[in-house]
Amino acid sequence: MKEFFEKYGLRILAIAAAAAVALSLLSFFASTSSLLHNAIGIITSPFRSAVSAVETWVEDRQRYYADYAELLEENAALKQELAELRQNERQALRDREENALLRELLKLQEQRRDFVFESAMILEHSSSNWTSTLTLNRGTNCGIAVKDCVVSAEGYLVGVVSEVGYNWATVLTVIDTDTELGALVFRTSEVAVAEGDFALMNEGRLKLSYLPESASLLSGDYIVTSGLGGYYPSNLVIGTVESVKVDDDGLAQYAVIAPMVDFDTLTEIFVIKDFTVID
Amino acid sequence: MLTRRELAVKWAAYALCTLLLMFLRALLLGNTQFWGVLPFLPPVILACVASLEDSLPATVFALAFGVYCDLLLQAPFPCLYTVSFTLAALAALLSKSVLQQGFVRVLALVFLTFLIVNVFNMLFFAAHSGAALLPMLSLCVRETLVSCPLLVCYPLFLLIHRFFTV
Repeated sequence: MKEFFEKYGLRILAIAAAAAVALSLLSFFASTSSLLHNAIGIITSPFRSAVSAVETWVEDRQRYYADYAELLEENAALKQELAELRQNERQALRDREENALLRELLKLQEQRRDFVFESAMILEHSSSNWTSTLTLNRGTNCGIAVKDCVVSAEGYLVGVVSEVGYNWATVLTVIDTDTELGALVFRTSEVAVAEGDFALMNEGRLKLSYLPESASLLSGDYIVTSGLGGYYPSNLVIGTVESVKVDDDGLAQYAVIAPMVDFDTLTEIFVIKDFTVID
Repeated sequence: MLTRRELAVKWAAYALCTLLLMFLRALLLGNTQFWGVLPFLPPVILACVASLEDSLPATVFALAFGVYCDLLLQAPFPCLYTVSFTLAALAALLSKSVLQQGFVRVLALVFLTFLIVNVFNMLFFAAHSGAALLPMLSLCVRETLVSCPLLVCYPLFLLIHRFFTV
């Protein structure tokens, strides 16, 4: 052996060096890994995969047992967070609806800066067929008083407060037979009286009486509050003229007014607590 | 013959039943109209109790229930229900002498109670705002007919009555 290396050692070394340089150059210029490296990788790959799988499984088990309590806590926290988010979502929906109402109200507030509003929810619509009333969830505790006007978010007249308690109030709607308001035909400025009528109340309408003889009403004419006497604010829209009729005695004419408000669908209204009387 | 305690329990049961029915009516029917009118429960309740009980207790119940309705419901004029319900309970005496206890008697009493309440309403509206008779009569008839199905609550009162009588 000694003789062999002495005789051929230098040659073997040269061949080995040349082979090493050739492999290095091949691996440097080749797009894939070197042949030897690749071969070792291919042979060891299944073993490495197996080891890795076992390693992962053991780690998973360890993590599972170690993190179980943490996961339980996290799950509870996430459930709580989800419940809060859902609550927030519901609140956001309610806020959006309220926002829309208040935006509508803002238009009226910008037109009539003298109005002092109090918002209220409708607790009950009248349960009798002989009256048309609404019960509100606000009363004297919020500064509401008898004869305060009540409007919708759009500023249309709903009715007038007829009774008030500490935290409740009753509103006679404009179609109730006890309602009587000074009114004005917006187009012609003719003065009349808007009042509830028994027969019309059941149709959801009211009557415009005491019209001047020369009155020339057209269907669709806006009827607004006159504000005369200072009891009620002026220029609140009551409704529109639906038809003009003649009284039973045939001497005077009256108009049937369709209110702008649908009382059945109302849920939130605004009470005008104060306003400036315009002489 | 019931003891004083049993009597108190019986009338408390009637009162609770009344409150429960008023609540259920508001909850289930709300503002729903049938044939253009709202079903009106109080006269039906009064008729149920008046048909089952003796005239004196029934009149006292009618008086108390009338006051309750006047305080809670909107009426065209004050004391409408107190007066009309008391009169209806007294008028129930007539029906008791003519009809035997049962569904026919309570139905007759419902009509009688609605008639008395609505006569007061009509007199008021005729005097106050000169309302025409025909629309008022139409409303009376529709209200009575639409409210009659509310007599489904009669078995509940009958149950209480039988529980304390047998």
